[in-house]
Amino acid sequence: MVTSENKAPAGPYRPHGADIKETRPYSPCRAACPAHTDVQAYVGLIAQGRYNEAFEVIRSVNPISSVCSVICHHPCEQACRRCAVDEPLAVRHLKRFAVEQSKEYRRSKRKLLPKTRNRSIAIIGSGPSGLTTANDLAELGYGVTIYERHPVLGGMLSSAIPSYRLPREMLQEDIDDVLAKGVEAKTNCDIGTDIMFNDLMKKHDAVLIAVGLSQSRSLNISGVEGPGVLLAIPFLTDVAFGKKPELGNKTLVIGGGNVAIDVARAALRLGVKNVSMVCLESAEEMPAWKWEVDEALEEGITISHRRGPKAVQRKDGRVQGLEVVKVRSVFDENGRFNPSFDNEQTSMLEADSIIITIGQMTNMSFLKDSPVKTDERGRIEWNTATHMSSVNGVFVSGEVVTGPGSAIAAVSSGHRAALAIHLYLQGEPIEGALPPQEKEKIAQLPADVAEKIGKEPRQKIIHLAPEVRCDTFTHFEIGYDEQEALIEAGRCRGCGGGAVVDTKKCMACLTCQRVCPYGAPVVTAASEIRPEYCQACGLCAPECPGQAISMVSYDVREIRNSMPSVVGAVDAMRQEPVIVAFLCTHHAGVQGFGVLRNVRTLPVHCTSRIDILDMLKAFECGADGVAVVRCSDGTCKYRGISTRVNARVNRVKELLEMLKIGKDRIELLSSSSANGNPWSAVCADFTERIKQIGLRTVRP
Amino acid sequence: MIVGSQKPIDEIWNMVKDFKKILVFGCNTCVAICHAGGEKEAETIASLIRMRAAQEGKVMEVNHMGVMRHCEPEYFDPVMDEVKKYDLVLSTACGVGVNFLSDRTGTIPVYPGINTSFYGAVESPGIFVELCAGCGDCILHLTGGICPIARCSKTLMNGPCGGTNKGKCEISENVDCAWYLIVERMKQLGTLDKLSEVLPPRNWSSARDGGPRRVSVEHIREYEEKESQNSETGGKK
Repeated sequence: MVTSENKAPAGPYRPHGADIKETRPYSPCRAACPAHTDVQAYVGLIAQGRYNEAFEVIRSVNPISSVCSVICHHPCEQACRRCAVDEPLAVRHLKRFAVEQSKEYRRSKRKLLPKTRNRSIAIIGSGPSGLTTANDLAELGYGVTIYERHPVLGGMLSSAIPSYRLPREMLQEDIDDVLAKGVEAKTNCDIGTDIMFNDLMKKHDAVLIAVGLSQSRSLNISGVEGPGVLLAIPFLTDVAFGKKPELGNKTLVIGGGNVAIDVARAALRLGVKNVSMVCLESAEEMPAWKWEVDEALEEGITISHRRGPKAVQRKDGRVQGLEVVKVRSVFDENGRFNPSFDNEQTSMLEADSIIITIGQMTNMSFLKDSPVKTDERGRIEWNTATHMSSVNGVFVSGEVVTGPGSAIAAVSSGHRAALAIHLYLQGEPIEGALPPQEKEKIAQLPADVAEKIGKEPRQKIIHLAPEVRCDTFTHFEIGYDEQEALIEAGRCRGCGGGAVVDTKKCMACLTCQRVCPYGAPVVTAASEIRPEYCQACGLCAPECPGQAISMVSYDVREIRNSMPSVVGAVDAMRQEPVIVAFLCTHHAGVQGFGVLRNVRTLPVHCTSRIDILDMLKAFECGADGVAVVRCSDGTCKYRGISTRVNARVNRVKELLEMLKIGKDRIELLSSSSANGNPWSAVCADFTERIKQIGLRTVRP
Repeated sequence: MIVGSQKPIDEIWNMVKDFKKILVFGCNTCVAICHAGGEKEAETIASLIRMRAAQEGKVMEVNHMGVMRHCEPEYFDPVMDEVKKYDLVLSTACGVGVNFLSDRTGTIPVYPGINTSFYGAVESPGIFVELCAGCGDCILHLTGGICPIARCSKTLMNGPCGGTNKGKCEISENVDCAWYLIVERMKQLGTLDKLSEVLPPRNWSSARDGGPRRVSVEHIREYEEKESQNSETGGKK
């Protein structure tokens, strides 16, 4: 159970309900994440102040959690059901908070894993996909060697993504986690030059090709050859490794994707005064993420839309600008990329340097003398169901086969490749054994439920001001402080973490249907709690007379079972009363744990989850007083909670009177860290009241 | 369903205080629905007994358990070995369950943890009302669906009496006059004229006055069968 310290869990961490969740539709955020990160679980743990456990949930599926905490394109947020109410949860930023809070913890957990299987695997490439496979195979007890042509690991993360977006120390934390497991890394090692691919196949029991798309495509237009025209990836690699490419004063970036934005913003930070972009697409059609486009515009980068490059204009060999033609359309009637131009309408975009960022490809020349088959366009032939190439034991993963995508998608691909390699080395069939990538998810929030949910604005994510950030490659985004993170985590509706009914115990009494503020339970032969309606408040579970309801994200018996250890031994000679305080982790706030030595705190998702039995158990374990601290009026994230919790507290008062313990030893109190009435003040006041009543003399 | 309510802890304590190992045994049907004696309430009572024992300085082991129903042996037979490990079973079933279980626990006493109140319905969440007395000779078709045996304080067959007062019974302003309700309901049904017929005195032999009652459903009950009839020969010889 939660205690006043941020305790480190022992052993591999599984959030409560992890197994049940596998049998039920995923929350939309989790379904949208390519690695199926259990967002609801880690956000819930953050809300309770359990940051290390939150980190464990993230890391359990994502070995580049630090990286993703700053660069992920967060499809989870786009899928968040809060969008039907106000704004999505700031999931990525909460991940960053959990990662930042657990830095010491994760370092303390690094350890060399024993090589229990006498097999070794070569992994070519150390990007998100290669690192993930290396991580998984090391955890399974294999010997793993990563071959990386750059001097540092990370693939595009270290050699292309500018550090204003991904601070290298964050990447290093992830890499250090993987290396600590015993993964060997050979850097500055180019396959095909330093080691031949065929030799690699002889040396290892399996080989993974995870080389990504590390080469830029160029344009076949006049004037493109010569100084002043650069390709995106070599440019970004130079920047990443501290070189300063010559750009002049006016740089034009061709392209409308995310890499083009990176290139433009990096050019700006190199001191180019005037950076502009030109792309085929309109603002709406641009493939770059909208927020990245907005950030670039804020920094003064201008974008010319619906223009296609025709020729690089040069004078005395020096770039003068780019001649462009008007775009009629970008996509054909089938929605395929097939631009058409109006060659009559041309114009000139002035520039003294041009960076081409129109897409990436891979260089497969290292496979030249190997049996690994490639198609007519140089792409590796592979079986998507086994991740295997045309050669037994040679596997592929990541963008080299999936095409351009996100880091987290490459992580997902890396996990699958690791499992495929493991099965192969165990002599087991791979086809059909890899988990499905698409998961069933909870339906959209019904309109009548969305109406009942209070609006709570998303906590702002602060960026350095454009005039400050454009001069530096320093990370431009500021992380949440604890207060902001707790408030933001409290906005999560807990989709998929709600109530489930054990139909063997349900006697169809209708209690849950009657108490639920959202109309989630439907009782026929037994209760069925509809996950798309359930808001995971937990109000129903303590009211169920058959104890048939449990919460996926929360063990309803956890409080009772852990109460003896939470209360601890009660000293008969104590001066201060022992107070057990159940705290709403939402607006009551969980900050300041351990301030009052006599108060044993039990943060709960909502006070609606506290059972009469939980309160009695505190007294049974020797508490002198019990405070149920709810959030203050008007701030509860749920409906209809306080009346019912009040009724439960009154029932306990009645029972305490019968036992002659006294009704005043339990109170329902409210607090709000936001309005200067934090729980610690409330508990200090309650302690004084219990002192007046006196300490209990009878001990169990 | 059968409605019950918990006994005060003092009364329970006086019943159980001389036992060392007590099982509070919940029944998860009628009395669970009225939040009086299901497994969860059994757990609550067990907690209260433990606290009281600590106050009194008594060393006791108090545990709880629950089964679907105490009134059908198939539900509790599987846990009887466990039940028999205790000195006392405090059953939170209705009186039926307490009796029924007590007949089957040999030397172990079974005491009641709740008071069995009545046959009732859920008027609104948490409010249970008595609507039937189980008299064994139903006349609801004659009284507009409102039972004068259960709901009239005097169980009058022909009412109301002089104690009716603006729709309420003379015993309390919180108690409806059943005969007032009957008249109003029969007006609504258009059958008020039937009330001019005086109902004859009741024969109470079908109720408690005839002694303990039994119902035998002949087509369901167990029969001793001859071996030849019981074997699956499929009619072949």
